[in-house]
Amino acid sequence: MTTATTVTLKIAPPPPEPAPATPNYLNVDYSLWSWLTTVDHKRIGILYLVSITAFFLAGGIAAGIVRLNLLSPDGAIINEDQYNRAFTAHGVLMLFFFLIPAVPGVLGNFLIPMMIGAKDLAFPKLNLASWYVFMVGAGFGVFAILNGGIDTGWTLYPPYSSRSSTSSVVPGVFGVFISGFSSIMTGLNIMVTVHKMRAPGMTWGRLPLFVWSLYATSLIQLLGTPVIAITTLLLMVERIAGIGIFDPMIGGDPVLFQHLFWFYSHPAVYIMILPGMGVVSEVLTCFSRKNIFGYQAVAWSSMGIAVVGFMLWAHHMFVAGISYYSALLFSFLSMLVAVPSAIKVFNWTGTLYKGSITFQAPMLFALGFVVLFVIGGLTGLFLATLGTDIHLHDTYFVVAHFHFVMVGGMVLGYMAGLHFWWPKMTGRMYSDWWSRVAACIIIVGFFLTFVPQFILGYHGMPRRYPNYPQEFHVYNVMSTAGASVLGFGYLIPVFYFTLSLFYGQKATGNPWSATGLEWQSPSPPPLFNFDEAHMPVVVAGPYEYSLGIDQMGRGLPEGPGLGTSNDPSSKHGETAAPGPMNKETHVVG
Amino acid sequence: MSASTHSPVLKHHFGDLNQQHASERLGIWMFLATEVLFFAGLFGAYACYRLWYAAEFEFASSFMNVKFASINTFFLVTSSLTMTLAIRCAKLGDKSGIYRNLLLTFALGSAFMVLKGFEYAEDFHEGILPGASSFGVTTEQHNIKHEAEERGLDTGKVRLFLCFYYIMTGIHGVHIIIGLGCILWLVQMNYANALPPENYSTVEVVSLYWHLVDAIWLFLMPMLYLAGAHIPRLH
Amino acid sequence: MNSLPPLIPVAASTMAYQFEYLFWYITIVTTVGGLAVYAGLLYFCVACRRGNTTGSTPRILGSHRLELAWTIIPTIIFFSFFFWGAFVYTKAVHPPEDAMEIFVIGKQWMWKAQYPNGQRVIIGGNPANMTENERKSIGKLVLPNNRPVRITMISEDVIHDFGVPAFRMKMDVLPGRYTTAWYYPTRLGEYHIFCDQYCGTWHSLMVGKIAVVGENEFDEWLNGNAIQQGTENPVDGSVAHKGRELFLKLQCIKCHSADAKAAAPVLESLFGTRVPLKGGGGEFADAEYIKQSILKPRLKVVQGWEPIMPSYEGQVTPEDLDALVAYIRSLKRGTTPNTTEQMKPPVGAPTERSPGGKN
Repeated sequence: MTTATTVTLKIAPPPPEPAPATPNYLNVDYSLWSWLTTVDHKRIGILYLVSITAFFLAGGIAAGIVRLNLLSPDGAIINEDQYNRAFTAHGVLMLFFFLIPAVPGVLGNFLIPMMIGAKDLAFPKLNLASWYVFMVGAGFGVFAILNGGIDTGWTLYPPYSSRSSTSSVVPGVFGVFISGFSSIMTGLNIMVTVHKMRAPGMTWGRLPLFVWSLYATSLIQLLGTPVIAITTLLLMVERIAGIGIFDPMIGGDPVLFQHLFWFYSHPAVYIMILPGMGVVSEVLTCFSRKNIFGYQAVAWSSMGIAVVGFMLWAHHMFVAGISYYSALLFSFLSMLVAVPSAIKVFNWTGTLYKGSITFQAPMLFALGFVVLFVIGGLTGLFLATLGTDIHLHDTYFVVAHFHFVMVGGMVLGYMAGLHFWWPKMTGRMYSDWWSRVAACIIIVGFFLTFVPQFILGYHGMPRRYPNYPQEFHVYNVMSTAGASVLGFGYLIPVFYFTLSLFYGQKATGNPWSATGLEWQSPSPPPLFNFDEAHMPVVVAGPYEYSLGIDQMGRGLPEGPGLGTSNDPSSKHGETAAPGPMNKETHVVG
Repeated sequence: MSASTHSPVLKHHFGDLNQQHASERLGIWMFLATEVLFFAGLFGAYACYRLWYAAEFEFASSFMNVKFASINTFFLVTSSLTMTLAIRCAKLGDKSGIYRNLLLTFALGSAFMVLKGFEYAEDFHEGILPGASSFGVTTEQHNIKHEAEERGLDTGKVRLFLCFYYIMTGIHGVHIIIGLGCILWLVQMNYANALPPENYSTVEVVSLYWHLVDAIWLFLMPMLYLAGAHIPRLH
Repeated sequence: MNSLPPLIPVAASTMAYQFEYLFWYITIVTTVGGLAVYAGLLYFCVACRRGNTTGSTPRILGSHRLELAWTIIPTIIFFSFFFWGAFVYTKAVHPPEDAMEIFVIGKQWMWKAQYPNGQRVIIGGNPANMTENERKSIGKLVLPNNRPVRITMISEDVIHDFGVPAFRMKMDVLPGRYTTAWYYPTRLGEYHIFCDQYCGTWHSLMVGKIAVVGENEFDEWLNGNAIQQGTENPVDGSVAHKGRELFLKLQCIKCHSADAKAAAPVLESLFGTRVPLKGGGGEFADAEYIKQSILKPRLKVVQGWEPIMPSYEGQVTPEDLDALVAYIRSLKRGTTPNTTEQMKPPVGAPTERSPGGKN
């Protein structure tokens, strides 16, 4: 049953291509000093981009060492001590120094002011400080790794981490402690910006979903990170002073550490995934030329995940010695948080319905996100269910689950965002063909790496084991083989992105014909994002692709992919004529 | 409040002073939320052990110096008053009044830290320390360890209380010192004439932080010092 | 490389079956749901690709009915997972009243178990972290088939986890606090024990074996007669071990040694055989014969030996006799040393104060 209402809008014709910004934020000053003392949110986003890429590479090398060693049941290339340090380095680097800062620090910093029509974030100097604090924290972390490493696992459970380990625990934990403050600063900045600095007409109901998801992320960063701060502080005190509140010898409870640790670290995984979900909403709508299906549902589900996500932490502790009643409660609540995620997936699928879809790299990554996140999320249900978690806890099933959501989900979301906004950030287009190839290789490589791990976990292979029984050999070899494909896939973007900086086609202001405010300025943008005399005024919601208008009510330029001659989608069928059109609004179902 | 768009205190990325002040206020309240959660972890941990080991915790608390803590409470609460008066002076453009109140706040906060120093010194002297080798190590015969054993209490759990005592008051002290630094920064700003009535909100931001640190003390003090006030010494 | 393991790993306890039913229910439901989403995605990506459309799209904002449907239905399904899981979990953490209790201690990097009769055994771990004697004594956690058993665990140092995939059960082992797990084995065989909470360098070698044996064999083992570990010695704390202590204390070893010049026959592998007697005839060497030989040794002397054994009447209680019988029964060929000093020390935690057997 459909009801139709005709929408007639008074809208301006498509704007001409904006003149290139002179100067733009990149070429206004080339000196290193200007970069290191910048308070421009776009430059700070680039600073984050460079640093987290370096940490991603380091964490990836650690992962390579781990998987290579698992080729043999007795450890193929390193001994047990080294292996323990390798997987800890992989976890710490990837979680604290890549995943948590990645989308908020890179894409959030760069895009939030532009998406809401502001000149900068609310506190530009705090923004720069957040990057420095992040680098100081990461510096301590890297120092710890180079100083022999930490061998406690990224989860740092005492009494092993406080009394038994002889590795470089304090510098590493201090690095995590310091970089947490960076996370708080970024979250605070984003929240205040979204509250107070929206352009006229940009109501909460017209915010792009990327902004909604980053707002939800910032809420978690703000409220959750202080708890890991106090937890790591207490751990350091216990390790340095030799006594502490987790010490069973004086009546302390090591399980208390776990409660405090997971109170942050569970919401932290939502810090990691929510921004990726925001990116997917942006990309799916643009490349299917349709409104998001269920805007309110998707926006509220982000907030729902953020809030409910604070109530689930002890599902990491079902066999840690918590009470029977606690376990029941946390399992029940964990089921609740799966619902908003499911709602998002259904809404994204609905967005594709009757769309007009092209498959450039951002879209491939975004679709890959949905596919892999579905598996990651569904396997989380096995772990939220008490009866199955007892067996699957601390096995490779958990490892596969979280890699599906964090890598298959978040990293793919990050890649989608990077590919989508690269023209805006750098003013260059990258190779369309190679980017699609890279996306496919990454998705395939990912499957090959982590699906065998579900089987391993189900059969009981424990985590963090450099030595394992012979019967697990085959699946480990399969997983390592897949990891090499995945690693190769990650290297390809390094090449075409770098090449694009020098040889890439110069990008127009709105190469994807997207509706957001960030696409209204030239690529790369000028210093203060918009022409100061004509700051944006918003008259329409995000994603009015079917009407063919952007958020300022002006028409959209030609659809995506038409700028490049090697895009097969331009050869068949037609694209929508540029400019606004009168459309009926359909209500489905 | 003037909504001047060309005021020297207006930062470039803001549209007007209203927006700037509203953002600053929201920002500091959000930061205070993070501080509350930071201490909440500690308070939660303390609450667990307080329930489990009530006897040892109350006993250990009875060794804390309530007199010092009370004087310190007076210092802090008064300093919150003077801090608020500084906001009022800023709103009225009373530059010397700003100096007076900020420096009074600084003095009271410093007095708090000085008295805390004396308190710690006394604790060290009496062996009220959590370490295995320092607990109850004094020249006096009747010390905390001795009395704990006499009462049949677990000295380990008494030491656990002392862990909390030092960690909580220590972290609180660090926050006071940071606050003192911020007050000095405000004094410097005042010297540079950067606190005209349009920019009073900068004083308000620091003042909110100072009030939170004070409020945390108001929870900390009864928890640590008054839990065992009913327990007399055996000797 | 081995061939692929079977699809479903071995299920050796009641909990394992409960797990499997729940696991496959969740698997099937989530697979159906996931495939439905994939089908939708694939269909739209193909049917609505740019080449197949005009490029103009309808303005669809959403559908309240669909939103409600795909909120409520997943919620119901997820709650079904929760309830079934809670049901299984309730069974898993509430051991029956009559479960035999075994204590397990975890320490870096080995497991030690103690049975109700005091019997102790090291059930696995990293051999490099053990003493020579401990290494030789690595055994298995012997459990009876079709009887519930409860494990009470504690750690000596850091947090470990006692995990048994074949039973689909694991529980963290904490310092300063006891945790419990329970099993009802339903299948004979040997199964892995893994440490499932990272505990340091040799976490991955802190592995052992559970041996589920028939109920009779289990009772035998509890008496110390069915050896289930590395050394040939009866397990410390068992009845046979007590008999061995008596054997040394009463100086039986002085004559009944393996020495060529020994004054008495060696007792290895004696039990249950037929012994020829001095003066003709034979005797079946059962418990009664052995007890009689200790109390009235000159009655039925073995052929080829002199009747010089003294009587121990009045020096041994009936319980001592049972212990000595159990020990002699457990003696295997080649395990009698020459002197008490060469007697291999007990397995598990040491109980002897000095190797000479003086108690």
